[in-house]
Amino acid sequence: MKRLAAVVALLGLATVTACSGGTEDKPAAGGSGGGGGLYTTIDANKPSLDVNGPINPWSPKGNAFWGYNAMRIAWSKNHLTDPNQFYPGIAASWEIAPDNSSITLHLQPDNKWSDGKPVTAEDVKFSIALAYTQGSTAFAIDPGAAGAASEVEVVDDKTVKISQDMKNPSVTFVRGVMDSFIVPQHVWSSVLPADFWDKLKAARGDGADAESARAEITALSEKVLAFAPPKDVSAGPFALERMNPGEALLVKNKNFYNAANVGPDQVKMLNSTGNEQIWNYLIAGKLDSAPFTAVPADVMKRIGATPGNAVVKGFSPVSLGLAFNQAKKPYDNVHVRRGLAYLINRDEVTTIASPEGGTPAVTTTGIHQKPAAEWLGAELGELEPYKLDPAKAEEEFKKAGLKKEGGKWTLPDGTPWKFTINVPTPFSDWVSGAKAVTSQLTAAGVDAEVLTVADYPLYLKEIAEGKYDVGFWLIALGPAPYNIYQRLYGASNGWAILGGKVKHAEAGKGGNWMGGPETIEVDGTKVNPGELTAKLNSAAEDEQKTIVGQLAKAANQDLPVIQLWDYVNTQFVNTNHFTGFPENDSDLLRQPAGVWIQLGMVKKK
Amino acid sequence: MTAPVITMGDGRTTMRRNFWHGVWRVLKRKPSRMAGMVIILGFAFMGVFGPLFYPDPLPRDTANLYAAPSWEHLFGTDFEGTDVLALVVTGSSYVLLSAVITAIITVVLGTGIGLFAGFRRGRWDTVLMRITDMKLTIPGLPLLLVLSTIWKFGSAIEMGLVLGLLGWGGVARAVRSQTLSLRERGFIEAARGLGLSTTHIIGRELLPSMAPFIAMNMLIAVTGAVYAQVGLFFLGVLPFEANNWGVMLNLAVFGGGAMSSPAALPYLAAPLLAILLLTLGIVLAVDAMDEIFNPRLREE
Repeated sequence: MKRLAAVVALLGLATVTACSGGTEDKPAAGGSGGGGGLYTTIDANKPSLDVNGPINPWSPKGNAFWGYNAMRIAWSKNHLTDPNQFYPGIAASWEIAPDNSSITLHLQPDNKWSDGKPVTAEDVKFSIALAYTQGSTAFAIDPGAAGAASEVEVVDDKTVKISQDMKNPSVTFVRGVMDSFIVPQHVWSSVLPADFWDKLKAARGDGADAESARAEITALSEKVLAFAPPKDVSAGPFALERMNPGEALLVKNKNFYNAANVGPDQVKMLNSTGNEQIWNYLIAGKLDSAPFTAVPADVMKRIGATPGNAVVKGFSPVSLGLAFNQAKKPYDNVHVRRGLAYLINRDEVTTIASPEGGTPAVTTTGIHQKPAAEWLGAELGELEPYKLDPAKAEEEFKKAGLKKEGGKWTLPDGTPWKFTINVPTPFSDWVSGAKAVTSQLTAAGVDAEVLTVADYPLYLKEIAEGKYDVGFWLIALGPAPYNIYQRLYGASNGWAILGGKVKHAEAGKGGNWMGGPETIEVDGTKVNPGELTAKLNSAAEDEQKTIVGQLAKAANQDLPVIQLWDYVNTQFVNTNHFTGFPENDSDLLRQPAGVWIQLGMVKKK
Repeated sequence: MTAPVITMGDGRTTMRRNFWHGVWRVLKRKPSRMAGMVIILGFAFMGVFGPLFYPDPLPRDTANLYAAPSWEHLFGTDFEGTDVLALVVTGSSYVLLSAVITAIITVVLGTGIGLFAGFRRGRWDTVLMRITDMKLTIPGLPLLLVLSTIWKFGSAIEMGLVLGLLGWGGVARAVRSQTLSLRERGFIEAARGLGLSTTHIIGRELLPSMAPFIAMNMLIAVTGAVYAQVGLFFLGVLPFEANNWGVMLNLAVFGGGAMSSPAALPYLAAPLLAILLLTLGIVLAVDAMDEIFNPRLREE
């Protein structure tokens, strides 16, 4: 599950990681503010350390550890329903315009880079320019992109105002801004041309000049990704000191604005090549904290038996769904999907696959059950729960024209029906879950099997190419409802927002592998779920609630996916050397331990 | 006209009877050899008839995940509550069938090419040996890893075929060397002098002399194939099929935490024990085979 956590983090929505680790290491010398000690952990976003990785937050192999030596403008709380709640990062405070049209950032007044130079508004503007080359959410160069910034204005040395292009606004604009990494301009200045902002202005127009400007900016992407500063200059609580294949050592940045309250003097990131390595670290009491990791029950007992170890649990805005490729028969028939939903015992699947890190989905809505209760209220209880019911399944299969011969279901024309679930091998909980589902279906007469794929990137590539009939698919990636529903009714199901308009691609084209119909009937009314989802981007809160209700009902009736389990953010801490960790249900569990430390929570014992 | 034919038939039957008599004597000499044969026969029986003893699909007891070994479940249960021993037994078919196919392909191709190249020499030898050398330079495991991304190896026959095609090079080289050495011996010279056909010389004179070597290679190929496929399944590069020894090892270690806690240990130990026993059986049988085919080793 550690790898899954990394994937989720890459999606830019849910973050994990952990802290802690009673080790035998001697306390580091030179601690300030009563701090000290060595804090040992694993980075959920980069469990496998790469000695040759650049100190670059945009590089997938970079040695920039979120919250430790890599800083964002602010750290999202991943609130159940409100995407605009944050903890301070580079920005100490901010003002969001009531119509979401702009955000004004006030930087930490006393913050300095680890080399002693102050962190300025120019650093923020320069880092935003770098973000444009990566095409990140709020800083997309596509002139029609929803939620894109139109202007970045340095108000004074410590104030920056960023405005949204209101031709095509998005409620996730602020989140897009806040998630930006900030790097020192004086180190990175060679990466961008001096006339970058002129090029960006040109790129926002129409015609050949705009096209070429866009191409130039996009071409800078590789240069940004490859840039490797010779030394870590960090505005975070720590700076990378050295690393070897087994671990990375970060030391306290004495210039950090809240350095006096940063507990540990040093942080050691341990390398991990698999879940079992994290289990062994935890059993040995080597970690002060550890990220969300799939742990078998017996290993959990051993971890718990190590003195000082504790498990902290909280909300994780992710669910797992069994997704269908509706371009393939018989999955184009809603009765087949419903029949399958009635045959899957979600409680049993969750017990087998993710007893510590998941709870069985109460029904299937596309939303994690916790925010579902907030968004839907009593409506949640009115939805079809799809409890295990073989009789109803039989009824649904018969409606779909399937036939039962010799105890096995066949397609309407009598040919054999092979139900194949695809999952990536490294996700051990997915593999077990898929096997549990196929065992249940096989027992009910559906000839089912699991096929595994060597790794997750290959899995994503193949699923997007429409190679699978059925696969596991992460859904419910909140808190913004648009983000939640675009996993069901977004690009992978044919809908994309282009130039401010929602366009639908046919099944098999433009990344549409789910292949659902463009309109579906919900309670006798035809709705276009992709258009409704896109509306969530700009709708007011009340309207959002109505739309979420409609979409939840649509997902519940039409079943583009069967929601299996909702993740539980399960982390590990060890209180032998440090205290002050977030408690159960803390929203800080959704941020790396570096954020807990920089906020001054973690203290040496 | 018919009498000599009958006599020849009788002669062959007698030879065969003597051969099996010799085999029995060699096996009896050391109890370990008998044990080896019993193990191999046991695995063959398990592979062919084992699955018939269990219902399909195997029963699950979801209230009893990773159950400890008991009389009911000698090696405990797996992550779904399925009996581990049942998984080993039903999973043996795929492993053994593909191993046998690998062994047959390795031996048939390796022997055929080696014999032909060594006996004919000249241009044929050069061409075939260059092909063999090229094949030997192909790194088997990386190739299998790449192949596994496009081929799902759903059946044991596919797996055996690929492993066999990857494994014949060494046998071909060794058989060729042996052939080159034998073809210069007196009895082959004599056969040539008598004007016997090439088929006769290869089939009746050369092949029997190499039989022990080929038989041993065949058995060793079985263990090689078991290691290779179990290894690939363990690494998780091949599709999931729960009752496969390699997948069991993978799930026990990466899903069940068998290296970190004792609950999944029996789940890990059962397929390991099966592989160990099979290898042991083969090693002991090869020891017997060496003596059967090599008269100089016989202790009459």
